[in-house]
Amino acid sequence: MTHTDSGVAHQAIAPRLPILDLHDVRKRFGGTVALNGVTLSVAPGEVHGLIGENGAGKSTLIKVLCGIVKPDSGAISLAGEAYEPHTPREAKARGLQVVHQEFNLLPFLSVAENIFIEHLPRNLFGVVRRNDMNARARAALDAIGLKDIDVRWPVERLGIAHRQLVEVARALMTDSRVLILDEPTATLTSRETDRLFAIINDLRSRGVSVIFVSHHLDEIFRICDRVTVLRNGETVFSRRIGETSHDELVRGMVGQQLQREMASGAISSAGEGTALSLVNFRHAQSPHAEGISLDLHKGEILGIAGLVGSGRTELLRAIFAAEQPLSGTLLRDGKPATFRSPREAIQAGIGFVTEDRKEEGLILAMPIAANVTLASLSSISRVGLLDRKMENTMTQQFGADLKLKYGGPSRHAATLSGGNQQKVVLAKWLARNPQILLLDEPTRGVDVGAKAEIYALIRRLAEKGLALLVVSSELPELMTLCDRIMVMSQHRIVGEVARADFSEEKILTYAYHGERRQTGH
Amino acid sequence: MMQALDKTTLNAPTEATVSGMSMKLLLRDAGIGIALLLLIVFFSLSTEHFLTSNNISNILTQITINLILAIGMTFVILIGGIDLSVGSMLAFCAVVAGTVLTIPELSVFQAVGLATLAAIGTGVVCGFLNGWISAFWGLPSFIVTLGMLNIARGAALQVTDARTIYSFPPSFNAFGSQMVVGVPVVFLIALVLVAVAWFVLSKTVFGRLLYGIGNNEEAVRLAGHSLMFYKVAAFTIAGALVGIAAMIYMARLNIASPIIGIGFELNAIAAVIIGGTSLNGGRGTVVGTLLGACIIGVLANGLILFGLSDFMRQMITGVVIILAVIIDKYRERITAS
Amino acid sequence: MKFFTAASIIALSVAAALPPAAVAADKPVVGLVMKSLANDFFKNMLEGAEAHEKKRGDYELKAIGMQNETDFESQLNGVENFITQGVDAIVIAPADSRAMVTPLKKAMDAGITVVNFDVSLDEQAKKDAGIDLAFVGPDNRGGAKMVGEALAKSLGAGGKVVILEGNPGADNAAQRKLGFEDAIAEGKLDLLDSRTAHWETEEANSVFSTMLTAHPDIQGVMAANDSMAIGVIKALDVAGRSDIKVVGFDNVPAVAPLVKDGKLLATVDQFGSQMAADAIDKALEVVAGGPKLEGWVKTNIELVTKDNVK
Repeated sequence: MTHTDSGVAHQAIAPRLPILDLHDVRKRFGGTVALNGVTLSVAPGEVHGLIGENGAGKSTLIKVLCGIVKPDSGAISLAGEAYEPHTPREAKARGLQVVHQEFNLLPFLSVAENIFIEHLPRNLFGVVRRNDMNARARAALDAIGLKDIDVRWPVERLGIAHRQLVEVARALMTDSRVLILDEPTATLTSRETDRLFAIINDLRSRGVSVIFVSHHLDEIFRICDRVTVLRNGETVFSRRIGETSHDELVRGMVGQQLQREMASGAISSAGEGTALSLVNFRHAQSPHAEGISLDLHKGEILGIAGLVGSGRTELLRAIFAAEQPLSGTLLRDGKPATFRSPREAIQAGIGFVTEDRKEEGLILAMPIAANVTLASLSSISRVGLLDRKMENTMTQQFGADLKLKYGGPSRHAATLSGGNQQKVVLAKWLARNPQILLLDEPTRGVDVGAKAEIYALIRRLAEKGLALLVVSSELPELMTLCDRIMVMSQHRIVGEVARADFSEEKILTYAYHGERRQTGH
Repeated sequence: MMQALDKTTLNAPTEATVSGMSMKLLLRDAGIGIALLLLIVFFSLSTEHFLTSNNISNILTQITINLILAIGMTFVILIGGIDLSVGSMLAFCAVVAGTVLTIPELSVFQAVGLATLAAIGTGVVCGFLNGWISAFWGLPSFIVTLGMLNIARGAALQVTDARTIYSFPPSFNAFGSQMVVGVPVVFLIALVLVAVAWFVLSKTVFGRLLYGIGNNEEAVRLAGHSLMFYKVAAFTIAGALVGIAAMIYMARLNIASPIIGIGFELNAIAAVIIGGTSLNGGRGTVVGTLLGACIIGVLANGLILFGLSDFMRQMITGVVIILAVIIDKYRERITAS
Repeated sequence: MKFFTAASIIALSVAAALPPAAVAADKPVVGLVMKSLANDFFKNMLEGAEAHEKKRGDYELKAIGMQNETDFESQLNGVENFITQGVDAIVIAPADSRAMVTPLKKAMDAGITVVNFDVSLDEQAKKDAGIDLAFVGPDNRGGAKMVGEALAKSLGAGGKVVILEGNPGADNAAQRKLGFEDAIAEGKLDLLDSRTAHWETEEANSVFSTMLTAHPDIQGVMAANDSMAIGVIKALDVAGRSDIKVVGFDNVPAVAPLVKDGKLLATVDQFGSQMAADAIDKALEVVAGGPKLEGWVKTNIELVTKDNVK
């Protein structure tokens, strides 16, 4: 359906021969569909915005274009010729350059060396012609207005924003026909963003096409000629920038039919008493003094929405004392409490299902039973001696409760699927009988069946009177689960939506507008 | 990475894969034992004297000190650390204990008792410092124990003024060469220590958390456990074992010199690694370490009996260490799949 | 005495800080450059030199040591400091037989009397630098031959022996091995095996136990130092083989009881404690106007057996 839509649109909009043309590009990673038919065309000298929610397929698409990932099907052409790069080097040779989100600079080499790392100017004897290199690097930096940086400085001396611009300068060294900028403004201040936009405008006037990936819609409207929206690995539509609106783009990103069917009507009424209150609570990276204030009631599921980087994970980690909070007050059952370590938070009846299961939640190379009992070892041991029988009984009991599909308590956690791994993490906390459970992206990397089971479990826990704080990037998830949703942006609560008023647009508007307010656009 | 993800998401264990897995696990754990057996068979067939009771008790005596040091090293490596100071600490513990042992006013019983306490105490203090300094400041144990390597060696020289201590009580000296049905008593002590370490590592909450820390420190911390305590404890245990090894050294060779034990840490690390413990921590057993120490001892002994030159012997030992790590890589893959 | 190492380092830095004029002019000053003071042998030697200074009373001794056997940096610095201070003589046990030639040439050019003891400087390196420098030191090969002959005499022709060598590559280890081999050839002994135990007691114990398994008919053992001999004797105790005879080298205090018991047949005393003192005497003779030293001035060595052990 969307294919024909966008096909029509692109014929109408791009009368000139496109420099880059993608038709129905698909890519699966095992059972996961990453790209499910991306169609996109970029005209010469066009700045083309690419937007979509996390997991919409932007990163995979970029990897396909720069030769890191090979698509399963679909056609790509560059300047009219078939384009199937096998390596980034090949992509560069064909005139396609990517400035990645992650930095690829070598911190101990000089700026000039970094810019020329792929083809250092050498003399007959293979010795680097340093003066020549420095002069050319100087010219390259001047060209993008970076006059205040000495090219002989090691890159580690530069701030993040300057590093990003050096990356751009490096990409500009080779004559490219298509330049892809992946979230280039994420680390830039508004002054540097202006500078970057001036560079982009210059490129446009020289006929270079730019694909500009960003989730800052304002920037899309400022710099792009056209914009393409991806959702679930598919092209939703491409539009001329003058023919679309902020709201249309948001709707495009989140989809028209909300998956209401996952919501099972009856939600526990917010219970009696406050389990956890935060007053001006600041985590270590919090940039401003007011911090976060919120109340979490017993038996309530409170959702926290917000863009990546809005401070959601940091908030949970600070509550759990995984990182020490900076200031502010935390009230547990109405009484002020200070946790100096996760141990003390756990003793106060708090559990924390972390975002990164593999790095923080599970010990993959150890048995399932060891993972289930990790936080409650004292209840399966006597004078420090483990009681395997009790441990296995406990594991089997939680395994049955949570419908865990596993080979046996002694199998390694790594042998489980994502959903079952997450159930093990949940079991670890439930084994402690917590009164408060913090959940960060509780269904990330979890298949649909397990997702529904985890939702049901979360609701059951709320009915039993647990207070649950859920952070998720999936709005349908929050809208399915929560009694209330608070929206965070730039480490502040910028809005609160009650269940009756839930809508993705409302939440996203808070998230994006909150951001707009903060950055002063 | 994506492939790994697929495997875990698609995995639905059945009975068949379970038994296949336990077979693999058996192979993995038995692999080192099979290697040792092959070596023993080879040397038995190729040399005349290898499989004599005298030679076997020789080998057992010869591996004792390395084995005891390697037990402690297993604890440290399991939590992802390394202890380069055990050789120097051995010398320091030995000279402190030797000084106590030669105090003429003490009865033999008192002297040996106090010397043992002094040796273990010295080891505990050094080990505690290793662990505490690296855990408190978050320093790599490689660096901290490299410092301790120098400190303990210097302290040993300082205490003795660089002199060798000797003339210990005769009954103490005799103890080092006692046999029980052809098995050296000192080796039996080491075996008891292996058994205790095995029990601690596999049957206690403490051991469980050491493995946990070696595998995923952050998960253990977020489950409410103090990393500091366990890290310091692992190094302290290693130190205490160095103290015991120092007493056994003295009983065996009847001297305590500040220059003994140079390079012993590397042999201990080799035993642990050959025994299948991962240098990244979190995986390995003390039984593996026992087998690893046996392999090193059998090789050293067998190759001499085989008539190989010193230099060839050194090369082969090096090759075995590298082979062990390569085999370990494969074992990791077997368990991962 | 305990804090000697620290004291000598302090002394060195103080000495380095003093201007050359601060050295008293009436008594000749001798700069003594030692090897690792973590080694019994050199420690004794230094104490011997200090006693010698007190006894003679007609010269001033300044001594420096090193951190460990391979730390020739501090020797190098020591020599240069002595040159700056304008000492009358430098008496040195070089850490490296080649590396020390250049700084010593500098000292000789500055008119300082240089005496080399303990380990001889490399002949070729001396020739290349154009210096002629005498060596005052023991004959390791001769000593090893002497103790080897004692073993040969005790065993008789055809006696089966093994050698435990020092560190492969060390000059004195090589010389001692040659000396043992000389004795074996002359005494018509049968050499079954020769292996290194890196000068170490524990390793000697292990290596020798295994050698004994391989060759139960061993009758005699030549150990290139006493530490290794101690390990061998312990292995013999365990094996219950009192019939096998052992000789060592160095006559360290720890072997005195073993020699008395007859467990160690013989060892060699190089009079390490006197070696530095002897070299100082020779240097002072030259400073006082005596003839220049030439070639190899061999120092006293003595066979130590049950009959003359102290």
